[in-house]
Amino acid sequence: MSDLLGQPRDLWGRIRQSIDWVVVLLAFGVIALALINLNSAGKGDWSGRVATQLRWVALGTVIMFIVTAIDYRVIYRVSYAAYAFAVGLLVLVPVIGIKVNNARRWLGTQDVRIQPSELMKVILVIALARYLHDAYAKESKNIRTLVVPFAMVLVPAALIINQPDLGTGVMILLVALPVLSVTRMHLRSMLGAGFAGLVAVALGWRYMADYQRKRIDVWLNPELYADDEGYQTIQAIISVGNGGFFGRGVDQGTQNVLGFLPEPFTDFPFAVYAEEWGFVGGAMALTLYLGITLWSINIASQARDRFGALLCTGVAALFFWHVVINIGMVLQLVPVSGITLPFFSAGGSNVLTMMIGLGILMSVSRSRQYRS
Amino acid sequence: MINLRQRDDLRELRPRFQAMVLVVVLVFLGLLGRLCQIQILEGDHYTRRAERNFVDVVDVEAPRGRIFDADGRPVSTNRPAYTLYITAWARFVRDGEAGVVPSEDGKRVAMDDETRDLIASLVDFVDDDDRGAFVERIDELRADEATGKYPQIARRNLDWEEFARIQARLDGIDPWVEIRESSKRYYPEGQLVGFVTGHMGNIGAKALEGSKHLGYRPGDRTGKTGIERQWENYLRGRLGRRARVVDARRREVSDPPREAVEALPEDLDPIPGQDIYLTLDLDLQRVAYDALSEKLAGGVVAMEVKTGRILAMVSVPALDPNLYEQPIPSATWKEWADSPLKPFIDKTVQEHFFPGSTYKVVSAIAALSHPEFDPDELIECEGFIKYGGRRFRDTHVHGEMNLESAIVESCNTYFYQLAVDNILSLDRMEQVARSLGLGERSGLGLNGEVRGTIPTEEFEAREGTYQGGVRLNSAIGQGNVKATVLQLAVLYAAIANGGYVMTPYLVDRIETNEGKLVFTSQPQRRNDQPVIDPVDRERIHRGLVGVVNDEDGTAYSERLPNIVVAGKTGTAQVGREKRRREAEEEEVQIEGWDTTQDHAWFAAYAPAEAPSIVVVAMVEHGGIGADAAAPIVMKVINHYIGSTTTETDVAPRPYGEPPPLPGQARAELGRAGTAGASPSGAVP
Repeated sequence: MSDLLGQPRDLWGRIRQSIDWVVVLLAFGVIALALINLNSAGKGDWSGRVATQLRWVALGTVIMFIVTAIDYRVIYRVSYAAYAFAVGLLVLVPVIGIKVNNARRWLGTQDVRIQPSELMKVILVIALARYLHDAYAKESKNIRTLVVPFAMVLVPAALIINQPDLGTGVMILLVALPVLSVTRMHLRSMLGAGFAGLVAVALGWRYMADYQRKRIDVWLNPELYADDEGYQTIQAIISVGNGGFFGRGVDQGTQNVLGFLPEPFTDFPFAVYAEEWGFVGGAMALTLYLGITLWSINIASQARDRFGALLCTGVAALFFWHVVINIGMVLQLVPVSGITLPFFSAGGSNVLTMMIGLGILMSVSRSRQYRS
Repeated sequence: MINLRQRDDLRELRPRFQAMVLVVVLVFLGLLGRLCQIQILEGDHYTRRAERNFVDVVDVEAPRGRIFDADGRPVSTNRPAYTLYITAWARFVRDGEAGVVPSEDGKRVAMDDETRDLIASLVDFVDDDDRGAFVERIDELRADEATGKYPQIARRNLDWEEFARIQARLDGIDPWVEIRESSKRYYPEGQLVGFVTGHMGNIGAKALEGSKHLGYRPGDRTGKTGIERQWENYLRGRLGRRARVVDARRREVSDPPREAVEALPEDLDPIPGQDIYLTLDLDLQRVAYDALSEKLAGGVVAMEVKTGRILAMVSVPALDPNLYEQPIPSATWKEWADSPLKPFIDKTVQEHFFPGSTYKVVSAIAALSHPEFDPDELIECEGFIKYGGRRFRDTHVHGEMNLESAIVESCNTYFYQLAVDNILSLDRMEQVARSLGLGERSGLGLNGEVRGTIPTEEFEAREGTYQGGVRLNSAIGQGNVKATVLQLAVLYAAIANGGYVMTPYLVDRIETNEGKLVFTSQPQRRNDQPVIDPVDRERIHRGLVGVVNDEDGTAYSERLPNIVVAGKTGTAQVGREKRRREAEEEEVQIEGWDTTQDHAWFAAYAPAEAPSIVVVAMVEHGGIGADAAAPIVMKVINHYIGSTTTETDVAPRPYGEPPPLPGQARAELGRAGTAGASPSGAVP
C-alpha cells in the first residue's frame, strides 16, 4: 500500500507526509487564540478552566493523530457499530444521565463526564457517509435510499431534542444537510426536502416550549428585554461593539473583566474575544475558521472515493455550523442557543469531537488523488 | 460488500462543492460585515453603553456642620460610622453549596428570604421591633424593582463589630450588600446641652415628599429638634459625588482596567455644612444643669440682659441626643413616653406654667400705669380677702403693705385688693404683660416654643371661666396666666435693662468650613422706647432687690455674700385637690415626685447696680420658690459674676427644715409692717 502511494520508507518521513500541515496550522492557530481567550475570560487564571481545556486539547491531539494514522477505510467498517453505540448512549442519558444546570445531557460523574450528543455529531457523519457511499455503489433508486438516511438523522435528533437540547438537535439536522446533498439526488428533490424542513419548523413552533418561544421573541426584540431575558444578548453585543477596530487589549475588556458578560466560557467566548481583539482579531479568527471549512471542502473534492468526500463534507459542515451559529448568536443574527464555538468554548466533549473531525480530515487527505 | 480500493470519480460532484464554497464564503462575509457594522460603525455607541455598565456615581455625604459653644468647645460633631446599603434586585442567586451564582439568563431577581435572613442575622438589633423594621425595609425594596435595583440605605451607624461581621461573610451576600463609610452625629456633652443642640433622626416620608427640591434621599438623617432642626439648612452641606468603576455585582473594583478609569466622569467634592457657634457658655450651662438635675423636672434660662444672648438653657430631665444615633428599644421609648416627667419636653420653652408670684411685677407695672394708683398707700393684709363669696387666701398675715413691701414679702392680699378696687383690670394687666413679651413667642424659634396665655375678659368669656375672681387670681400669676421660663427671663431682662424687651438668641455666628463668616446675630429689641417708665422701673427694682436683700424678703436666706441680686420668688399653686386625685391614678410612681406640690420659681438679675445677667429657674412641683428654685439661680449668678467665695454670712439651714416663711420672723415679734421697706438691703 505504501508503495502504491509512493510514500518514503523511513518512519519520520512517512509521518511527515501523512500529516496535512494546512489542517494542523489552521487548527492550532484557532486553539492558540482560544486558549489565550479562555484565560482572559477566566480573569487571568491559568489553573482552572484553561488547564482543563489544555488537557482536553492534549488528549484530543493524541486522538487526532491516532485517527489520522488509521486508514479511514477502518472507520468505514466500524461506522454502523459506532452509530449503534452512540444511539445507545443517547438512550441511556435520560435513564442514568447526570444533571448539570438543570439539564440532563451528560454521562459519567460530576467531575468526569461526556456529552453523548457531541460525539453523536461526528459519528452520524461517519454513518451517513457509509450509507450514502453504499447506496451510490448499488445504484439503487428506490425509496429506501431516501428514507433510511433521514431516519438515521431523525432518530438521534429526536433523542437529543427530547433531553431537552434543542440547539444540539437542530445542529444534528444542519450537519446532516450538506452530507445528504452530496448524493445523486436531484436538485428538485433537495428543494422539496428543504420545503418539508420549513414546514416542520413552522409546525415545531407550535410545540415549542414557552421558554424557547420567548428566546426567539427576545432575539427579535432584545432591547425590550434588556433588563431580563435579553440581558445576555445585549451585554454580548455591547462587548463586541466595545472592542472597536483594534480591541481593548487582552485582559482589558471592561465587559469581560468586570463580569458584565454572562457565560464567557461556553456560549459567549467570542464576545470576550471580540472585545479584547477588536475587528482585526475577529476577522483573523473568522479567516481561520473559514480556512478550515474551505480546506475541508477542498479535501472532499479531491478524496479518492465517495466515502472520504462525504466524511470531509461532514467535518466541514460541523465546523461551519458551529462557527456560524455561535458567532451569529453573539452578533444577534440567530437566537441564543447552547451551540459552542470550536475550541473557544470550554468543554471536553466538544474539543474531542472536533479533534476526531480533524483527524478524519487528515486521514482522507493522506490518500488524496493528486498524491498518487 | 463494497470494495473501497476502488477509486470513485468525483468530478460530477464538483458543481456541488463549488456551490458549497460559494455559500460558505458568502456566509462568512456576512458575519464579517456584521462584525464591521457593530465594531466599527456602531462601536462608539456600544462603548458608551459599556461605560454605563461600569461607571457608578455614588453620593459623597457632606460632613455636617459642627456646633460649638461661645468659647469654641464642641457640643455637636461627627464621628466615622458605616452605612449599610441593600440592593434587593441583583442578577445573582444563592445556590446551595455553589454560593452566589449569576441568575438564569442574567435576569434581575429579587433577593430571596434566605439571603434576607442571613443579612439580618449579621446586624445587631436592640429588640424585635427594630429587627421587624429592618426586615420590613428590605421587603419594601424587594417588592419594588425600580427602587430595589439600586443600592438603598437600609441601616445607618453600624458599629465596627457589625461592619467586621458583614465583611467576613461578604462572599455569600456581596451582590446585595454594600457598606460605605459615612459619619454619625456625636454630642460630646450628651444631655447637658441635649435640648439646645437637639437630636437627629431619619427623614420622614412626608418630609421627604415635601423637600424634593432639597435633594434629600430616603434614609437620610435630619435634625429633629433644637438647633439641629432650626438650622438644618446651614448645617447640612451639599452632597458631592464620586465616580467609580464597579463590576457586575456593583462592587467597587480595586484594580480596574486603565481605559475604564479614564472613562469615569469627574468627581464633585461635597460642600461641608456650616459650623454654628452658640451663645451658650458651656461652664455656666454645666453649673445650671448640675444644680437643676438635683430636682426631678424643671428649666433654667440664663441670658444677658442687654443683648438677649442666652448663656445657659437647661431642661430636666434631658435625654442624651447620642441615644438617637442608634435604634431605640421600644420598651425604652415607651418608658420615656409614659414618664410623667416628660423627658421629651423642653421645659424652658415647650411647656407653660403658672408664673405665680413672679408675675406680680407685671401686676405692679400695670397698677403703676393707673392714674389713681398710689404705690405708697398702705393696704392691710389679714391673710385673706373675701370677694364674691369666696375667700382668696394668702400665705399668712402680712400686716400693712405698700407696693414695694408687697413685692418684697410677696403679699397676695395687696394685689387682690388692687384687683378688687379695679386698679388691676384684666385688660390693663394683659396690655402690660404683652408689652413685656408674655403671651407670645419670644422669637427664639427653638423646640416648638409655646405662647403662654394672658387672659383678657374676652378670653375668659370664651373659655367660660369669667367671673370676678379671675381678676384676683390673674393678679398673682394664677388663674389662666401661663408663661414659659424663657418668657420670664425676657421679662426680667426688660426690668433689668430699663425696659427693653430683647429677642433672645442662641446662635452667635455661623461660619463656613473654611472659617468664612456667613451669619452673625445682632441683639434685637422688640421696642424702640422703654416699655416701663423709669420711675416705675426704679420702684420695682427696689422691690426686687428687697426680695433677696431685705430681712423680710422671701429669698433673703438665699442671698449671695458679695453680689447684690434682684429677684422674685414664685410658688405657683397647681390645683391641689384635682392633682391629688390625678396623682392617685398615676401609673408610674417616682420617688420624690409629688404632683400636689407647687411649682417653684425664681427669677433674678444681677448685679443689681448694673445688671448683666438674668436667670430664671422653675422647678416643677418643687414646692416653695425660695427653697427649690432660688439656690439654682444663685449658683448660676455666682458662677457668672465670678465671686471668689460661695460662703454666705447666713448659717446654712439644716437639712429637711423648711425655710422661714417670708416675714414670719417679724410677724412673730408682733411688729406691724412699716411702710417703705428699705431697698438698701445690700449685703456688704
